[in-house]
Amino acid sequence: MVTAEEIERVSKMMRIDVDDHREYIDKVQSMIEFFDVLDSAGVDSEEIPMQEIPISNLRKDEHVPFDDKLIEKLNHYKGTYVRAPKMSS
Amino acid sequence: MNLKISALEYVQEVQNGNISAEDYVASTIEHVKGIEDKLHAFLSVNEKAVEQARLIDKKIKSGDKMGVCFGMPISIKDNICIKDSKTTCASRMLENFVAPYDATVIQKLKQQDATFVGKANLDEFAMGLSTEFSAYGPSSNPWNTDYVPGGSSGGSAVSVSAFECVASLGSDTGGSVRNPASFCSVVGYKPTYGLISRFGLISYANSIEQIGPLTRTVKDSAFMLNIISGLDPNDNTTIDNGNQDYLSGIESGIEGKKIGIIKEMIGEGTSPEVLSATKDAISKLEGLGAICEEVSLDMVKYSVAAYYTITATEAGSNLARYDNLRYGYEFPVEGYEFNSYITKARRQFGPEVTRRMIIGGFVPSAGQAGKYFLKALKVKSKLTKEISETFKRFDLLVAPTVPVLPFKKGEKIDDPVALFQVDINTVTANLTGRPAVSVPFTTSNGLPIGIQMIADSNQDKLLLQAAYALEQTVNLPEVPI
Repeated sequence: MVTAEEIERVSKMMRIDVDDHREYIDKVQSMIEFFDVLDSAGVDSEEIPMQEIPISNLRKDEHVPFDDKLIEKLNHYKGTYVRAPKMSS
Repeated sequence: MNLKISALEYVQEVQNGNISAEDYVASTIEHVKGIEDKLHAFLSVNEKAVEQARLIDKKIKSGDKMGVCFGMPISIKDNICIKDSKTTCASRMLENFVAPYDATVIQKLKQQDATFVGKANLDEFAMGLSTEFSAYGPSSNPWNTDYVPGGSSGGSAVSVSAFECVASLGSDTGGSVRNPASFCSVVGYKPTYGLISRFGLISYANSIEQIGPLTRTVKDSAFMLNIISGLDPNDNTTIDNGNQDYLSGIESGIEGKKIGIIKEMIGEGTSPEVLSATKDAISKLEGLGAICEEVSLDMVKYSVAAYYTITATEAGSNLARYDNLRYGYEFPVEGYEFNSYITKARRQFGPEVTRRMIIGGFVPSAGQAGKYFLKALKVKSKLTKEISETFKRFDLLVAPTVPVLPFKKGEKIDDPVALFQVDINTVTANLTGRPAVSVPFTTSNGLPIGIQMIADSNQDKLLLQAAYALEQTVNLPEVPI
């Protein structure tokens, strides 16, 4: 059983704030409870496969020039800097 | 202008000079503008489409080397980036986002002289299966506008079904191409994982999602696959298909092929109409010389829970980038502390995305990961082993695409767990990376039913041959628009 307090804690961690708190909690709770069916899958001894990709298979880590000035597309670009919220209250 | 032609018929007609790209695209846009009030397949329409088609006609007349699309009008799900076009993911969060680059699939289509009609509606960030979670309002099913068209690529399916384009691209994370294809009576194709580049597809659940075509015919899907598949240095998960031609040999038939009927996908929860249609499809496959027998995939029972656990976890990570600083809507930063700004800005996410973000934080968190996320990965692993073993005995698998008929708007929107169950037959192909297709098969009370076929990895050509064979056995009524 997932408690409402646990869901609220995770919501804060995910930086989610909702108006109708109770409705969200109830629905999320029912969704997570649906996942409890995994308990009866009998997969405890199953290994989780990992895929290894050699570094040689990755594309080169190199600068690819881009035509547009992407920084200018930011919402809060002010010509010479980007405005951001302050880091502490 | 007859808009009711397939993509391949369009190409032939333009090539032969019977129609011009400009006339066809202009008629298509006119039709879109006339019918969109009813259907809402599009979030934006390309106002330059006719002009672009005119340039294609000029290119044809001047004898230039032409791409294989000849100006073919295509719609694109609005989570795939087209340079300098809005890409909203049907979210208020991205209502002003203009893509700075083309997705690889878009580059490939442009190289082949495709014309883009517009960006198609979807459930917000592709999370849903009815388009009711689009922040800009739902699309309507052209077969009955009181009903949902399926999702999340609902706008894509509607646009193809209602002749608003000749083909579309969607994305399929748990059935998002096949589900709306089934609900709108078009072909929906989810390729082998890695066959099509995801570069430029706005990520939802990277480990299982794929771009796929929605078309009027199976041959059109093969044609689209020929254009958009293949290795891409910008997507390390792409696979080399050796430039396979999916159209050649598509009429080879399925005589002697062994087809497994997935028991868990026709059991409890399957509506009588869908079950009857599936039995009819199996008879037709047998009539074509296939050998059909029932097979069990035990892990299918747990696949939906595993799917939502894995996708929510990946979505939680992918959506963390939406802080409204790099991408976002107009919302001034003045007076806000960093965390409270982001929290406030994220109120623009719709209800389903918000719920999945919370779940995406919960299921992999310390103390919960063993119960949920790791167990889901183990189910995925066991399901993959089961299906690999099954394909040692069978060439193909068959099941209804969706266990129920299209449902009315609003019928399931307040019950997320009821919506989960609709995915039961489609998520297996995503979790195991296998290719799958939905073929329009019949209608019941005026609502379409699609049949799904699944093949082993990299057997896309065989799958299309089987889908084509099944398609030839059906005679569907015309969409009532």
